[in-house]
Amino acid sequence: MKEKIEEMKKNAKAKIQDIKSLQELQDLKVKYLGKKGELTLMLKGLGSLAAEERPKIGSMVNDVRKEIETLIEQTEKTMKRKVLEQRLQKEKIDVTMPSNNIALGSVHPITQIIEEVKDVFLGMGYQVVDGPEVEKTYYVFDQLNTPIDHPARDLQDTFYITEDVILRTQTSSVQIRTMENQKPPIKMICPGAVYRSDTPDATHSPLFHQIEGLVVDNNITMADLKGTLEMFVKNCLGPTTKIRFRPHHFPYTEPSAEADVSCFVCGGKGCRVCKNEGWIELLGCGMVHPKVLENCGIDPKEYSGFAFGFGVERIAMAKFGIDDLRLLYENDVRFLKQF
Amino acid sequence: MKASIEWLKEYTDIDVSAKRLGDILTMTGTKVETIDQKGNNIKNVVIGKVLQIVPHPNSDHLVICQVDLGTEKVQIVTGAPNVKEQDVVVVAKDGSELPGGIKIKKGVLRGEESCGMMCSCGELDIPVTRFPNQIENGLMILPPEYEKDLGKDVVEVLDLKEDIFDFEITSNRPDCLSIEGLGRETAISLNRAFKNPRKNLSEMKIENKDHIEGLTVDITAPDLCYRYIARIVKNVKIGESPTWMKRRLAACGVRSINNIVDVTNYVMLELGQPMHAFDINAIEGKHITVRRARKDETITTLDNQERVLDDTMLVIADEKKAVAIAGVMGGQNSEIEDDTQMVVFESAVFNGGSVRKTAKKVGLRTEASSRYEKGLSPENAERAINRAVELVELIGAGKAVEGKVDVYPTKQEVKTVILDADRINRLLGTNIPKEDMVKTLEKLEMQVNNDTVTAPYFRTDIERVADLAEEVVRFYGYDKIGSTLIDAETTLGVCTKAQKITDKIRINLVGRGLSEISTYGFISQKELDKVCIPVDADIRKQVIPIRNPLSEDYAIMRPTTITSMMQTLMINDNKKNKNVGLFDISRTYRNTENQIEKGEIPLEEMMVTIGIYGDTVDFYTLKGLVETVLASASVIRYEISSETENPSYHPGKTAKITVGKDRIAVLGEIHPMVCDNYGIEKRVYVAEISLDKLVKYAKVERKYTEVPKYPAVERDIAMLIDEKIEVAQIERTIIKKGKKILESVELFDVYRNEKLGNQKKSVAYSLKFRSKDRTLTDEEINNTMKEIIAELEKTLGAELRK
Repeated sequence: MKEKIEEMKKNAKAKIQDIKSLQELQDLKVKYLGKKGELTLMLKGLGSLAAEERPKIGSMVNDVRKEIETLIEQTEKTMKRKVLEQRLQKEKIDVTMPSNNIALGSVHPITQIIEEVKDVFLGMGYQVVDGPEVEKTYYVFDQLNTPIDHPARDLQDTFYITEDVILRTQTSSVQIRTMENQKPPIKMICPGAVYRSDTPDATHSPLFHQIEGLVVDNNITMADLKGTLEMFVKNCLGPTTKIRFRPHHFPYTEPSAEADVSCFVCGGKGCRVCKNEGWIELLGCGMVHPKVLENCGIDPKEYSGFAFGFGVERIAMAKFGIDDLRLLYENDVRFLKQF
Repeated sequence: MKASIEWLKEYTDIDVSAKRLGDILTMTGTKVETIDQKGNNIKNVVIGKVLQIVPHPNSDHLVICQVDLGTEKVQIVTGAPNVKEQDVVVVAKDGSELPGGIKIKKGVLRGEESCGMMCSCGELDIPVTRFPNQIENGLMILPPEYEKDLGKDVVEVLDLKEDIFDFEITSNRPDCLSIEGLGRETAISLNRAFKNPRKNLSEMKIENKDHIEGLTVDITAPDLCYRYIARIVKNVKIGESPTWMKRRLAACGVRSINNIVDVTNYVMLELGQPMHAFDINAIEGKHITVRRARKDETITTLDNQERVLDDTMLVIADEKKAVAIAGVMGGQNSEIEDDTQMVVFESAVFNGGSVRKTAKKVGLRTEASSRYEKGLSPENAERAINRAVELVELIGAGKAVEGKVDVYPTKQEVKTVILDADRINRLLGTNIPKEDMVKTLEKLEMQVNNDTVTAPYFRTDIERVADLAEEVVRFYGYDKIGSTLIDAETTLGVCTKAQKITDKIRINLVGRGLSEISTYGFISQKELDKVCIPVDADIRKQVIPIRNPLSEDYAIMRPTTITSMMQTLMINDNKKNKNVGLFDISRTYRNTENQIEKGEIPLEEMMVTIGIYGDTVDFYTLKGLVETVLASASVIRYEISSETENPSYHPGKTAKITVGKDRIAVLGEIHPMVCDNYGIEKRVYVAEISLDKLVKYAKVERKYTEVPKYPAVERDIAMLIDEKIEVAQIERTIIKKGKKILESVELFDVYRNEKLGNQKKSVAYSLKFRSKDRTLTDEEINNTMKEIIAELEKTLGAELRK
């Protein structure tokens, strides 16, 4: 009996070693361990043995059964692993093949600058206001202390629809609309298209974009204007950007200033963009002229304010290194996709 | 305004470099645009004398000169016709440099050696009028006294070094359109004393007479002429002006004409007051009238052009005719001639706006008119005329006649402002002591008495305390203003609903591969023809024309954005760009309710315009993009239906989208005729979506609805149906009968073949049923399905396929 068991064990082990497929393994499992399997039968046949032999042989059979069981289990695991590995090998793909993703489009460079500026000023508590492009002279000139015989009203600068309706030459008209409709505190920016009678060339366009800003409240100072613009240029043009105020004149602000920023291309060392000066003329600004406040029903003795405005194209061109303004309006997709 | 440092030095001590001075003046508000450092770029150019001239053996127009350069003699070949033996000339030697970076080297001209070049005024960048008897097209020939300087550097000998500033003067500071004004700014900016050499002019008292030498003056338009002063000089000898005067005129970019005309220009540059000089013999009746021109009156101006005038313009006239357009230009009929013996000087102040308009109308913007248009001080006019007469005597061009005729109907207002130092500091955010403010204002020649500031006559721009603040801070230093953050109530940074939706649409369309474009708001009228908009269409009537367009191409405000998109697609097609997808967020402008006629603003509608073409796109690609836009605005309920009558689009491949009564979008394939008009041989798809209307229906607020708990049951349904029936109709029918338990309807197959018949198609849907509060029974679903099928059969003639 003992020999028989040993023989079976040896046989089984040898067969398991030789196994070729999972199915064969399954068959072997049935052959030895199944309900009618050899080992099962052997256990059932224990009854015919002498009583003192039974426990000994019984435990021997059980040991062998366990051993075979474990062996089959292990073999099964190894085999499954092998099969899986083969499958994975077969499934190998060329990961360098192109994807079927739609390539992202692009946001127009002018919009990108506007969005960036908007984000900065929204963060500082400004509202973003839109206004009409075809506008009354009342909002573009009269209310902005630009009287009827002021040179800014010349035909050569302004596109007229009628004597009283024009294409706005600046977005300041939106500031007036806001001041007429809102009580201080006012903190707003107004980005948008403006029109001036310039023939298109590398540096001129009859339509361009401006962003203007306005703050009116108690005790607003020129130092606040400087601080605000400093925040803005550091955020939009880089944290090391410096700003410089120069006296200037605008009919709607007093005192007025032009502001230069340290060249954000070369950092102020001098380059083609800043014409070797280290500074780029960026914006016009100043303290809102008391007449403008009065015109909008705001008492200049109680309130003061500042305003600023700049051209978007200018920043876009310097920032992206665009050398011809017309590219921005030609909309060649090979140009647009670069942004 | 141009000015040389040489002239400015008459007013103050300048001991800094030109560059530094430029920077300082820029920072106090007198912006220096450029500094022209004349003479700096002339190197190794010397005085020479022509000893001998012989013809060139190989040329008809060249000659060979032997030139004495003092220490050496050289041979120079020249083609200049005006050179003679013994002439003293200017020689650029071998290895010399001339303005404009030109380098002169020894060379061989037609076989003859030439060791340098003899120069013209132009080559040295000197105006021909700077030295006597020079001509434009020939060599510079110097007077014989320069023979003593042979071989010496021409920059030294002729004193060619000159730093010339070009200033940008803002429109509020006409006083700085003068050397006197610039000198004052320079002195204060450098913190030096202002030594005004013309101080005497303010003290000079010339007796006012009714007439001098029989000349009388009358102003009939006192609203346009504030002051008119005439003085006379007699025994006039017309001739050249002295070199110093010519040099200063040249530095300011003014050509020397003759001594009398030069004096008028010199005074204008020096004091900022335009002057005019007439030959008294040309003034008939010796009576000057300052009057409005008559309609269609003509005058031939000094530039030999006949000008037609009208009754808004002001002229200086004698008894018969106009002799000058006031403030703009004199007439030829009263010009100073070589034999003029008695000259009338005019120093007048006219209404700025009127001069500006006149200059504009006659198309003549002169040095005089550009000063007048900014508004000049009538007080300064008197100083100027006295200076002119003084100069005439100084240069020996004539003798002053005593007295003046001075008509001064509107006295210049003396302006006072209260100095409120606190308010100034509060406005600026500074702590400038009041004494410092007073000091600055006094340097600017303002009188400060018990806080009342009186502006000097030349500062017509000082009106309010804000103006004083600017003066104070200009010299305190804009760079010394601190940087603070607003100390006030916090405000909320907000975008409008429209802005938020616009941003979302933009991001999503970019995600779908489209590129944003930027287009002009004005277009050519012809564009409307190109997109086949009928002549009687409403939007044609709503077109807003620009009165003064740049050209035909930009003549009207666009009533539709389709034209801009077509143009952009055309440009891209012309550049052979394949697979193009674009969008434009921009406006249309329409005069829908005669707003323009009423002086009101027209309707501007924000649009999202999409344009695509390429190998892989069709109507449904476009439709998907439009759905992206609608979804970005959370507009879920809308109707889509076919649009067959739109002349810009393909009649069978165009749809409109409506919400309620509002039509919010049109989308489709562009009509082949339109493509043809743009020269595009491709199928092009365009959608025009009204952003304004979209915003109206957009839902920005979100509310959570419970995720379904109970299982869904799916049923498929396939039917044979007439080809003409749109799937939207089928869907509407299913939804109507599916009632509350129908969760979704999804089209999964459309199939056509000959067996089905020519006019039929097979359409299959997957329907999903679900209830919020229970598991649906088969019976419920079967009943609903039965109802749906019955309705499909009844209303659409569908045949159920099994």
